[in-house]
Parts: sequence; C-alpha cells; structure tokens
Amino acid sequence: MNGIQVDINHLKKGEVSLGTSIMAVTFRDGVILGADSRTTTGAYIANRVTDKLTRVHEKVWCCRSGSAADTQAVADIVQHYLELYTAQFGEPSTKTAASIFKTLCYENKDNLTAGIIVAGYDEKNKGEVYSIPLGGSVHKQKYAIAGSGSTFIYGYCDKNYKENMSKDETVSFMKNSLSQAIKWDGSSGGVIRMVVLTKDGAERLIFYPEDYENL
Amino acid sequence: MTSIGTGYDLSNSVFSPDGRNFQVEYAVKAAENGATSVGMKFKDGIVLAVEKLVTSKLLVPGKNKKIQTIDRHVGCAYSGLMPDGRHLVNRGREEASSFKKTYATPIPLPALADRLGQYVQAHTLYNSVRPFGITAIVGGVDDDGAHLYMLEPSGTYWGYKGAATGKGRQSAKAELEKVISNKPELDAREAVKEAARIIYLAHEDNKEKDFELEMSWCSISETNGLHKAVPKDLLDEAIAFAKAENGDDSDSDDSSDESENEKDNEKKDAEGDVQLE
Amino acid sequence: MNHDPLQWGRPSDEHYGTYNKSIASASPYPSMHTQQPIVTGTSVISMKYKDGVIIAADRLGSYGSLLRFSDVERLFPVGRNTVVGISGDISDMQHLENLLDEMQTENNYDNEYAEDEEALKPSYVFEYLANVMYNRRSKMNPLWNALIVAGLEDGKPFLKYVNLLGVTYSAPSLATGFGAHLALPLLRKIVDSESDVKKTSAEDAEKSIKEAMKVLFYRDARSSRNYSIAIVDSKKGLVLNKDAVVEDMVWGFAKDIKGYGTQNV
Repeated sequence: MNGIQVDINHLKKGEVSLGTSIMAVTFRDGVILGADSRTTTGAYIANRVTDKLTRVHEKVWCCRSGSAADTQAVADIVQHYLELYTAQFGEPSTKTAASIFKTLCYENKDNLTAGIIVAGYDEKNKGEVYSIPLGGSVHKQKYAIAGSGSTFIYGYCDKNYKENMSKDETVSFMKNSLSQAIKWDGSSGGVIRMVVLTKDGAERLIFYPEDYENL
Repeated sequence: MTSIGTGYDLSNSVFSPDGRNFQVEYAVKAAENGATSVGMKFKDGIVLAVEKLVTSKLLVPGKNKKIQTIDRHVGCAYSGLMPDGRHLVNRGREEASSFKKTYATPIPLPALADRLGQYVQAHTLYNSVRPFGITAIVGGVDDDGAHLYMLEPSGTYWGYKGAATGKGRQSAKAELEKVISNKPELDAREAVKEAARIIYLAHEDNKEKDFELEMSWCSISETNGLHKAVPKDLLDEAIAFAKAENGDDSDSDDSSDESENEKDNEKKDAEGDVQLE
Repeated sequence: MNHDPLQWGRPSDEHYGTYNKSIASASPYPSMHTQQPIVTGTSVISMKYKDGVIIAADRLGSYGSLLRFSDVERLFPVGRNTVVGISGDISDMQHLENLLDEMQTENNYDNEYAEDEEALKPSYVFEYLANVMYNRRSKMNPLWNALIVAGLEDGKPFLKYVNLLGVTYSAPSLATGFGAHLALPLLRKIVDSESDVKKTSAEDAEKSIKEAMKVLFYRDARSSRNYSIAIVDSKKGLVLNKDAVVEDMVWGFAKDIKGYGTQNV
C-alpha cells in the first residue's frame, strides 16, 4: 500500500479550479442563474467556454465555484439523489435539493473545496436561492453572488438589486454585475451564461464579450 | 379455519397450498379483537379516536395514553397488541427523523405510510419474526393537506376518508360512511364530536366493559398543523354530545352499577375471555 | 520465513522492496480533522437580572473580513424558558440547531407533560450541549463554537457557557469571543457577583446589554448594527426581538480631531 506515496497537497496546487464569478437572482416569475466561463490551472486558462451552470433536476440548477472536480462530483451525486427522490416522493423542493448539497459539503468539509449556489423554481415556493459557501452552511437569500470575482461586485449588487424585477430587468442587472466581476477578476472571463427558471421550464441565454464589455 | 392442524399455519414465510399466509390472518384476528380505533378526515385535518377499555379500577383515569405522535405533524392510533403498535411507532419516528435530516422538510404522509408498510410487510417474510398484531391508523397534515391511512398486518395500506379497526369496526365504518356522505364539509370541531359519537356507538355491543374515550387531532386551522391531544373542554363537549346522541345513560362515569360490573368482569375472566385492548 | 515478528504477514523484501518503516512509527494520534471556521458569527453577550436573563447576538455571518451574510439568526429559543446563543462557525451552528430541534421532538414523544412539568429546562439543554461539545473535541473533530445557554429554571435565572474545547463555566454575566474582552467588563459594572443579580431590574439589564452591543459595534470589526435580543422573564416569559438596532451612537467628536498629535488644521 505504501509502495507509492503521493503528496496530495502538491497535487491540489495544480488542481483545475473555477476561480469564478457566479450569481443567482430571484425575480417576479422565478429565478435566473448566471456565470462566467473561465476555468484555470494557476494562471493558465484550461477552458475558456466552461459551463458552470449545472442541472441537478428539471427546475433545480446550481452554480459551481471552487474545485471543478469536487463540484462536479457533488453535483452528480445530488442529481442522482434527486432522481431517486422524484421516483419515491415526486418533485423535490429547492430547499430539499439545497439540503442534500449541504449534507455532502458539510460532512466532507475537510476534503472539499466547493462553493455552490443552488437555485430552483417550484410551483409552491416560486423562485428560491440558497447559498452554500465553503464550510457547508446554508443561507437562503433573495439573490446570491459567489466566487473570486464576486468580491468586486458586492457594492454594485447591493445598490442595484430590486425585488420583483421583470425578466429583462434581471438579465440586465446580472449582465452588468458579471461584466464588472469579469473586468476586475483575472480568474473570471469568457462568455456570460445564464439559465432562466420559471413555470415554463429552463431557458439558456448566452452573452459574448462584445455584448457585455461596453455596457 | 379448516386448515388448522395442517401445519401450514405454524410458520411465517410458508404459504399454504391455496396461497394463504395463516400467520398474517391470525395477526388480523389479534387486531380485530382489540379495542376500537377510528380515524376521520375533515376539511383541513384529521381526528383520531380510540376506545380505551378500563381493565382495572386501579388504572388512573385520563392517563395511560394510547394515541401516539410519530412526528410533530403525524399521529397514530392502533387496535390489537399494544406493544406491537409502540414498536411500529418507534420505527415511524426513526423514518420521520431521518427523512427530515436528509431532505430538510417534514416527511410527507404518503412517504411515511409507504415506509411503515414496507416494514410491516417485511415481518411477513421471515421465519424468525411474527407479523404485527395490529391495524394502525396513521393520519396527519403535510404540504398537500390532510391524509389518513390504515395499515394492516400484511403490510397493505390504503388511504381513507374515514377508517375504523378493532372490535367495533363494523358499526363504526357504517357510521363513518353516513357522516362522510351526509356532511362532506365537516370542520375540525364537528369532526371531533362525530368521532366521539362513533366510538360511543361502536362500544354499544361491548357495553358491559368500562371505557374511556381518548382523542387527538391535527388540523391547519386548529392546531397549526401539529398533532395534539384534543383539549379537555372540547373533549368533554364531545363526550356530552356523544352520550346525548346515543341516548346513553350508563357509561364509565356511572358508579351506581359498580358491583354489577365487577361481577360481570369476573364471570368473563372465568370464561377465559382474554381482554385485548 | 523471516522470524522477526515485525516482518510477519509483510510482503517479502525480495519481491516488494524493503518495508517502509514509517508505517510502524505512524502518528500516535487518531485521525485529526484539522478544521477552521469559515462563515463565522461574532460575540454572544448575556446577563442575569432579578427576574430572569437577557441575551444578545448580532445577525452577521462573516467570511473572513468580508461581511457576507447580513441576516443570520444566532439566538435559538428552546421551549418556553430557554434561549441558546451561538458564536463561531455557522455551519456547525446550523448542525447544533438541528440537534436542538431533534431533542425537542424527542422530548415530546409520549409525553403529555412536555409543555409543563416535563418541559426541557435550561440546565437539561445546557448539559446536553456541553456533552455534545466535549464528545466532539474528544473525537479530535470539534464543533467550532462557543455557546451560552440562558433561561429561567424553577423561577431562578440560569446562565452557562460551553465552547469547542468542552470547557464550561457559569457566571451572572457572560460573553463569548470579543464580547468577553469588551462587553463583559461593562456588564460586570452592573452584575459582577451573584448578589448583584437581585438588585438589578430588567430595565437596567436591558440598558447595559444594549450599551455593550453598541461598544461591540464600535470596536469589533466583525460585527453588524442589526442584532437580536432575547429576554426570559418570570412574568413576561420568553420574548425574542429579531430586529434590534444599535442606536444613539456618538460620532460628532470626530470633527474636532485633526492629525495625530501636533497638527491642528
């Protein structure tokens, strides 16, 4: 067993990470998730067109930040659990999905680097956003921002977020926010991806640098 | 029971040639001989009522509760072997607690009924165990409103508008049907009174035995979705209503015929009448 | 066969190379879960007075120096005469919250007196939490918190502290974290010893708690202006106010301060 010794901490330094700008915002008809598309290993951009918005159920999605491997593994497990849940009990609530994410992140906090925003729509609770930062706590919010780029836009988001915005207003708010995050954070970049979750299902949007750079 | 003595009734997990599990059928008998339990659904909740036979004058009146709480929003009443019921409720509590832990939401009643059903069914499969000697009525309120289930020793469970089990189930069921078809829009307080009346009515055939009425409810309007014992004043009101409706003047409160009752009980005991509650 | 007991059951050297001696001299400690708090809540402060207890905690969840979550409740009522205030890691706090919830559910099982004679008393809640904290630290996997349990027991004020090490103590005024340095001396001006408790009115106690929260907001860089304050009073029962705000701050003197010593313009 000890024939091969591995320095896990050395490997971790080279890990592919989502030094990221992600957010999710509730609005009048549901919730919208948004993210940049840059994945880095150190200063090298390993993927410039990453999709950080991940489906775990029809209308429950998540934004991933932190280690790409960890968050993909966690999202895959949650997707599996929600499939089982649906077969047994019917449609899960966003809160339930967030609780499964939390259990995984909290109980394995020693080994994970995962900052996740869970956002979903269900008929009863409408759009909801739950933020699950590093330690594995859960925070229900009207809107959430996370990832390395988010630190640059706390002020902008706090000043410009309004409750009950229309879809267009929300998309514009998010485009402006993420555009600033990308501008100031070296670990964020590429395109802005969004997913709109409403009673009508999930709709994908994409904005290219020429769309958001000079707003 | 023509097949008694053929050997097929001695063990769980063995079918008789005509496809029956006799142990399960005997378990049903145990439940059917128990004191009556009734459950009824109303507009925004459920009510549970049980007939509590007073087997000894040394028992403290109003204590020794039979109806149990599985989770804050779920109650359970059962007829048959009481310890079997308590074990089932313990299992229900574990299921409810683990569901809440993983999914951050109280267990929906259909899910709880299903899990209890699977557990009871598992006790019909193995040689090392016997089936549950109870029929349980499980009711409560969740996100989808009120639910009422009755769970049998085979593991079968059905959802009901009104359910009855135990010795007085026949007359109770007949009365439940009448109430539910005549007054489909019962509110919580009316339902409590009707359930009380039905227990008193079902006790008619078993009149020589003293009994106490125990009731609980779970309703959005009255208990905020929590399963609770029916408060004393409403219980008294319901008992008065039940007595008046049944034209009853001799019941457990009556002390004039104490000696008569005692003689009765002794006689029954001499005949070897096993008292199941 | 090599008859050295250390080699029994080991792969033979000629096939697998020499045995790695570092295995035999592995750490004498059990597996250690090195942790650090991530999202944190700052001080909880509390004091006894003649008819009960007061406890307060702000509503901030800090992420390092980032004041990330502004609406985190850290006071938890348990039954009708206990409040638990929690500081430290918020994910562990939420875990403790679940444990408290479970404890209450279990106390209600088959207990018709759960709301009266057999209601959970502050000392029961405390003893449970102290055991949880001590057991976790003994597994080298502590819950990264300091807690204060406040309440009324048999008509008398109850106040006790436990932290991630499983250390417990009691005093007529108590505080965790920064509060133990900044607020406690202020609270002790009112209630220093047990004999001061019966001399202190609810109004005086509430006033000094509010004053202490103000000082903490002045001087604790991880504190917020919004806080919760709970009072457990023998007459009024348990009252939890979730939208208290630090008020009557004094900043006006700042305009007279010029430079840092000799400058006066």
